Amino acid sequence: MEYSWLDILAAIAALLGVWMCGVIRMRTLLIGLALQVAAIAGITFYIGMTTHVMHFLILAAVVLVVKAIAIPGYLAWAAEQLEIREDRGVTMAPVLTMLLGFAALVACYFEASYIAVPALGNTGAAGMAGALVLLGMLLMIGRRLAISQVIGFLVMENGIFLYGLTQTPGMPMLVEMGVIFDVLVGVMVSGIVIFRLNRSFEHIDVTQFRGLRH
Amino acid sequence: MNTILLLVAIPLLIAVFGLFPRAARWLPRVAAALLLLQLPVVIWLVFPVLLHNESVATNIGIDGMGAAFLIITTLVAAAAMCQAAWLLPAERPAEPLITDKRFCIFYTLVGLFIAAMYGVLLSQNLGYMWIAMEATTLISATLIHYHRSRKSLEATWKYLLLCSVGIAFALLGTIMIVAAQHTLPGEGTLHIGTLMQRAAQCDPRLLRFGFILCLLGYGTKAGIFPLHNWLPDAHSEAPSPVSAMLSGALLNCALVAIWRLSQVMHAAGQEQLVSQLLVPAGAITVLAAALMLVRQHDLKRMWAYSSVEHVGILLLAIGIGAGPLFILHALNHSLVKVALFLLAGGILHLYGTKSLRKLKGLIVVAPVWGGLLLAASFAIAGSPPFGTFISEWLILRDTIAGGEYIAAGVVVVGLAITCIAVINHIARVVFGRAPSRVIAPPRPAWAVVPAVLLLLSLVAGLAVAPPVIALLTRLAQVGGITQ
Repeated sequence: MEYSWLDILAAIAALLGVWMCGVIRMRTLLIGLALQVAAIAGITFYIGMTTHVMHFLILAAVVLVVKAIAIPGYLAWAAEQLEIREDRGVTMAPVLTMLLGFAALVACYFEASYIAVPALGNTGAAGMAGALVLLGMLLMIGRRLAISQVIGFLVMENGIFLYGLTQTPGMPMLVEMGVIFDVLVGVMVSGIVIFRLNRSFEHIDVTQFRGLRH
Repeated sequence: MNTILLLVAIPLLIAVFGLFPRAARWLPRVAAALLLLQLPVVIWLVFPVLLHNESVATNIGIDGMGAAFLIITTLVAAAAMCQAAWLLPAERPAEPLITDKRFCIFYTLVGLFIAAMYGVLLSQNLGYMWIAMEATTLISATLIHYHRSRKSLEATWKYLLLCSVGIAFALLGTIMIVAAQHTLPGEGTLHIGTLMQRAAQCDPRLLRFGFILCLLGYGTKAGIFPLHNWLPDAHSEAPSPVSAMLSGALLNCALVAIWRLSQVMHAAGQEQLVSQLLVPAGAITVLAAALMLVRQHDLKRMWAYSSVEHVGILLLAIGIGAGPLFILHALNHSLVKVALFLLAGGILHLYGTKSLRKLKGLIVVAPVWGGLLLAASFAIAGSPPFGTFISEWLILRDTIAGGEYIAAGVVVVGLAITCIAVINHIARVVFGRAPSRVIAPPRPAWAVVPAVLLLLSLVAGLAVAPPVIALLTRLAQVGGITQ
């Protein structure tokens, strides 16, 4: 079976997601996120080059600048301000989460055809996209700090973007840009809320928030 | 296009005013006046929709459903901001953290929030609708933290995270609906009208999967059990005018999104899936919310759970395909719930607490408020002659006529429990021994807005006649004017 660049880059993105599930250090986690987005931007670029559609090339550039550079950079800055170095996870050791993530990846690889569009011939990438959504959720469940949950959300969003990229002939440009803008604003707003959380609770450990349990 | 610009002009004007901290003195009154002015403007702008019935061909435009909910949203926003005009300035002396700048930014965010809700209602494109919906989450999250308390911050975080993740599923679902069109020539479309024409030839598996994911996403935003977890926290910790808007306007927006998707599924011949999912989900939501209402210690949390209950009823209406009843009940619920949240805001100011154990003897402290609270509680519990009774009755009638006996039975049990629980809690607040001294002197004039809303609810209850239902039926058919 021949693998195209698209399949290889999608697999790299998904494997980075699995690896991120096991990472404890915040800096490394953010580098993983940036690399993952870079792989997805690479796929966008590849599609743009093979189909000769300008839209994908612009999209690749926007994704690279906003999601691979600006957002991880902002989160790294926020982590530094909050003096956060690592997130040791909730009850499960991160290595175990990683194994669980790997199992999810394998399952998605074999069940990819359920959500794939056969006519486009990117069945493998559909599986990887599904796996990224699950891995993002796993990251969110398995971590303690509010900032790691934002990272989990972004991994999930990467999966959704990858699915749209590989399983449709192309989403309308305005919708794509609107979604990226919403994600950017969402990260900014959650950054502000995280700073406020840190100021009034002196930590951002979400498992310790108990005020609202009635 | 001009219509759309006129529609968002006033909310955006309020947003601009909020950028100037010096406006803090007059902004609350000006915002209230502007939003009262917005009400006739919106009615005038959507009026042509009532007369014409073309399908909306552009991505942004007013259809019948949009027109109905634009009016409801504006009414809710105007009522909430009128009450805010006295409530928020009265609270400020006790809150040194809220500087003039923060106070004004609150109004900027309110203006943007209203514009974003209009965006959801105006979108005739699933992609735009998603973008506007996420924008409402991001804007309203910052509104919840107005009081700067720890609890409100926690509620903000929970709301932001749960709704963003939930709505991410809706994005995946939206993309799947595009992917489902691979069986048709050309690129996929997200325009709802075009989608409905093409739906029958779509790949049914991906379309169904997409619909389920969208339901999960928008359902989180609407507060369907068990995805309602964020709702009581956010609605109870937000300042009361914001709680009123979240409950009376934002929940409706999410339900309109579900309604539009259900229409696409109907066009695809998948109405069975819609009713199989929505009818049980609605019935269970009603029952679960009713059971959670029994043990409540907090006045605003109680109204939040009651919103969950009404979302269940509205979902049931969507599930059985009763568009006109969906509009009617949404209107009735919004009127009464906004009145209740605004009264709760006043009571919170009066007693300095919203704990049900400490609230007693309201009828002695403030007779007008006590009477209104009692009447509004009967209204929300679905008693005649208020509008909620009529719409709940009609929805139940249609549910039984549709053969959904189990769902109807569950809902009846849920409604009965709700009625007992709400009246039981409220009777203790209204009657009982009054505290020796309350923090602020009550002013009957502050009860004007809730009283007007209750009166409207009464009118809505008495005015239901075949011509009204016919008008609502016309509105519920997807159609309208091209802008």
